[in-house]
Amino acid sequence: MAIEKHDKENSGGGRPVAEKGEHIVARHLIEDDNIKEEKNLVIDGVDVSGRWNTFIISRVNSEFDRSFFEEIKKTVAGSRINRCWQCGMCTASCTVTPLYRRFNPRAFIYMMQLGNLKELKKYIDVAWRCVGCYKCSQRCPKQVNPAEMMEALALVIKKYFPEEVKTKLKLDEEVKKIYEDMIIGHGRLDLAKLHTYAIQKSGRTKELLGKIERDAIFKMVKDGRAFSVLRLGKPHNWSSSKEAMENYLRKLNTIENTEAGV
Amino acid sequence: MDKLKENQAAYYPGCALLTIDRAYNNSSKLVSKKMGIELVEIPDYNCCGIGEMKSKGAASMYMPLRNMMLAKNRLGSKNLVMACSVCYHEFSRSIARVKENQNELSAVNEIFKEAGEFNEEYIPDGEARHILEFLYNEKGVEEVKKNVVKPLKGLKVAPYYGCLYSRPSMYTFTDKKPKMDNSERPRFMHEFLEALGAETVFYGNEVQCCGGRNVVQDEETSFTLCSQTISKAKKAGADVIALICPKCAGALDVNQPKIVEKFGKDSELPIVYLTQLMALAFGFSKKEAEFSDMISEPLKVLNEKGF
Repeated sequence: MAIEKHDKENSGGGRPVAEKGEHIVARHLIEDDNIKEEKNLVIDGVDVSGRWNTFIISRVNSEFDRSFFEEIKKTVAGSRINRCWQCGMCTASCTVTPLYRRFNPRAFIYMMQLGNLKELKKYIDVAWRCVGCYKCSQRCPKQVNPAEMMEALALVIKKYFPEEVKTKLKLDEEVKKIYEDMIIGHGRLDLAKLHTYAIQKSGRTKELLGKIERDAIFKMVKDGRAFSVLRLGKPHNWSSSKEAMENYLRKLNTIENTEAGV
Repeated sequence: MDKLKENQAAYYPGCALLTIDRAYNNSSKLVSKKMGIELVEIPDYNCCGIGEMKSKGAASMYMPLRNMMLAKNRLGSKNLVMACSVCYHEFSRSIARVKENQNELSAVNEIFKEAGEFNEEYIPDGEARHILEFLYNEKGVEEVKKNVVKPLKGLKVAPYYGCLYSRPSMYTFTDKKPKMDNSERPRFMHEFLEALGAETVFYGNEVQCCGGRNVVQDEETSFTLCSQTISKAKKAGADVIALICPKCAGALDVNQPKIVEKFGKDSELPIVYLTQLMALAFGFSKKEAEFSDMISEPLKVLNEKGF
């Protein structure tokens, strides 16, 4: 996915032609149809053409689904969703927001609070871009822990939009699955295998044979690190832990247990 | 397995440190031993979950806490030292959560009971400790100064803490406990490096994220963040960047050829671990500190500067 470019090009050297509702802060949150611009507008005898002639038609959302809110609150990752008072500190300190303008943790939490799935659906492609740097959780005045709320968001998306996950988030989902299989199944993480799998899954097998990858692999074979990966093994008696964890996950009575449905 | 002696500490290596980041593992052990603490690996350790299990409820807490149980059972140590920041985060997260939340503690204990590996229940009385914080608090800067035999005079180092060493306070207790580092402006690594005789540079990205978590799913984000950090450090005049996390190394060091290919020579700077520099200053050879393991070739700079 390409990093979005937010600076609009100045074409022709003169004044750039204003786009619809361009000077609205957080313009990307508003749909085109909801912006109304009048050419010549006179209100109470005052001419308000120009910058002030832009109006946003208010959205009415009366279908709150409170059961959805409870569903998230029950999960371990999203248990603090009720504390959020929408100050926006999470978005202000976010690492990802400058790269993807549409990634907005505050808005995601708001949509989850309202149960506004229709709106959430529009952000599926950016919703899993969180890098887990925890700046938001560090600075949140209410200890909502937005970083982990993004995990809850991933669960929501997985449950309600399995189709979109399959098309738009195929790679993310598959890599996560590789991680989970490896961690729960073997108890230890084989980084070399993970890397190779991920590149294969993303359909870039050719890159594995490229110079950079080849150099790195050669280096690791030469200094013996490639073989230490083979020796990693499994913790002793891991199978009992594995079964206990799988049992726990099966019994989980919350949204966290959506794996089987997908 | 024997219980620990007085000058020993239970140590959790983690998966990355035992395989491709062995330089960090070995140099950590060398440095700690020189400073008077022997790190003893816990037997049968398992992966901490590296942040990919967070949506799995109590199972994500069971994984690190099983290691805490191992440390207590086999080595008789309540606390566990680790060098990887991601492991540190997972451990401190689990411990802080089960301390605070009785439901989560009983859910974790349920899994422990079913696995049947230990006869006792888990009680959250231990602490996870990052090796930087551990050495700083247990031994201190004076001990580092005492051990330096080859000061790193003239080496400009950009200390890079990354995210999870200092954040979030609710898990790591930075700012909250007096012995802990500052969350927004950590200083322990600065003090260590200055004690080694090296010069630290200020470049503004000390606690920024490298995007290491998404390095396989979303390379582009990670590359952009890394190139920002590296080029800022380079602009500030740094010779090397010092790390304390293998995941940062995965993003900044292993991927550096790709980053350079994309963003140009501005994003090229040797990457080393803090403990490697410490080992070098403590008189170990460059071979013992395993500088040759790093893809970004720090040996060139170190040879040029005459260390």
